Amino acid sequence: MKYKDYYASLGLARGASDEDIKKAYRRLARKYHPDVSKESDAEEKFKEIAEAYQTLKDPEKRAAYDQLGAHPAGQEFQPPPHWQQQFSDAPFSSEELDLSDLSDLFAHLRGGAAHRSARMSMPGHDYEIGVAITIEQAFHGTQIDLDLNMPEYDEQGRVRRVPRAFKARVPKGATDGQRLRLPGKGGKGLHGGRDGDLYLNISLRPHALYRASGHDLYLDLPLAPWEAVLGTSLEVPTPGGTVRLKVPPGTQAGRHLRLPQRGLPKPKEGQGDLYAIVQIAVPSVVAEPERELYRKLSDGSNFDPRAHFAVEAGHAH
Amino acid sequence: MHIESTEMLWFEQHVLSLPELSELSGVPQPLLEELLDCGAIAPLEPDAGTGPRVRAGADLRFGAQALRAARTARRLRADFEFDVQALAVALSLLDRVAELEAQLRELRAQQPQRVR
Repeated sequence: MKYKDYYASLGLARGASDEDIKKAYRRLARKYHPDVSKESDAEEKFKEIAEAYQTLKDPEKRAAYDQLGAHPAGQEFQPPPHWQQQFSDAPFSSEELDLSDLSDLFAHLRGGAAHRSARMSMPGHDYEIGVAITIEQAFHGTQIDLDLNMPEYDEQGRVRRVPRAFKARVPKGATDGQRLRLPGKGGKGLHGGRDGDLYLNISLRPHALYRASGHDLYLDLPLAPWEAVLGTSLEVPTPGGTVRLKVPPGTQAGRHLRLPQRGLPKPKEGQGDLYAIVQIAVPSVVAEPERELYRKLSDGSNFDPRAHFAVEAGHAH
Repeated sequence: MHIESTEMLWFEQHVLSLPELSELSGVPQPLLEELLDCGAIAPLEPDAGTGPRVRAGADLRFGAQALRAARTARRLRADFEFDVQALAVALSLLDRVAELEAQLRELRAQQPQRVR
């Protein structure tokens, strides 16, 4: 079993007072709680903090933990002989227990949740994990492989880490921030308690072409100045394949050209739209014959894109 | 280790009764009722009735948003020891944050990226 330094997790020295422990937990929980924090590793960090606090806030568990001695974090160690008999009234040997994790060990001690409710029915834990998929996967639906390591209680209320693998089908209709619930795929319930659920939080990976908002997709559509002025018909990529789009004459930059039902499919029925956002693109290098055409255009056009400046500035006086 | 395929449910399509909401979220029913009373968790039909009917939880149906809020409430209560009042404030602030993030996502999606 690997040693975990619960004091270090809370940023404390070994002799810290109960008040210090509570204060340190409150400060760190506020910073790293996954519901409040935007830190990228908040979930992991909070688990570590909560595990440390669960043990150190309970005087009996803290005494048991202190008896383990101080080891460098991550170092392999075994509890001293008679340690378990001393702190637990349900005797068990190391062979009976999966001692791969220190937190499992403490779940067995007096006052631990598993011990207290040895006969009570207890629902299994719910788990929430994040799953990132591509826009193409959201469009077509996809199958994802989940490899999880879940603590489970056996009939005696002992904890074991059970590796579980799922192939989970994400049906089409997923989008950013949506959740899937896998009923009964969380931790096993104990003594007739219901099995926990597994929740998947879906996020979409950034895409080179499309940006998603709900089930709508946005695509930048660069046009040459003459295409925007004269109008054109062109091919636009969509997740469902190429689509022909008519650009009307006199199309302004920033205009949204809507391709109905070409966005992401919705779970039950229907489909989001795809919006092509017009940009006027100009060549960065222009060779002489072409440059001459622009000069002619400049001389021959009476178009004033800033006509409103004079009008609006006049109003100000 | 065996590999299993599994059925998935769209969270967004859940419709739950009060006891089901309590079971799935792990929040005891009396606390859910208090959160309902102060509007921190809302049923699908807000005009389905107030007063005794709400107390009994009869006919009330809850959607994904209520389940999400109730699960958050369970975590906040366990990890921060929040009381009902604090839970109600935290839930409404988190709601507001989620709303603003959705708006931000929409605006970002509409923002041209390929400006030259």
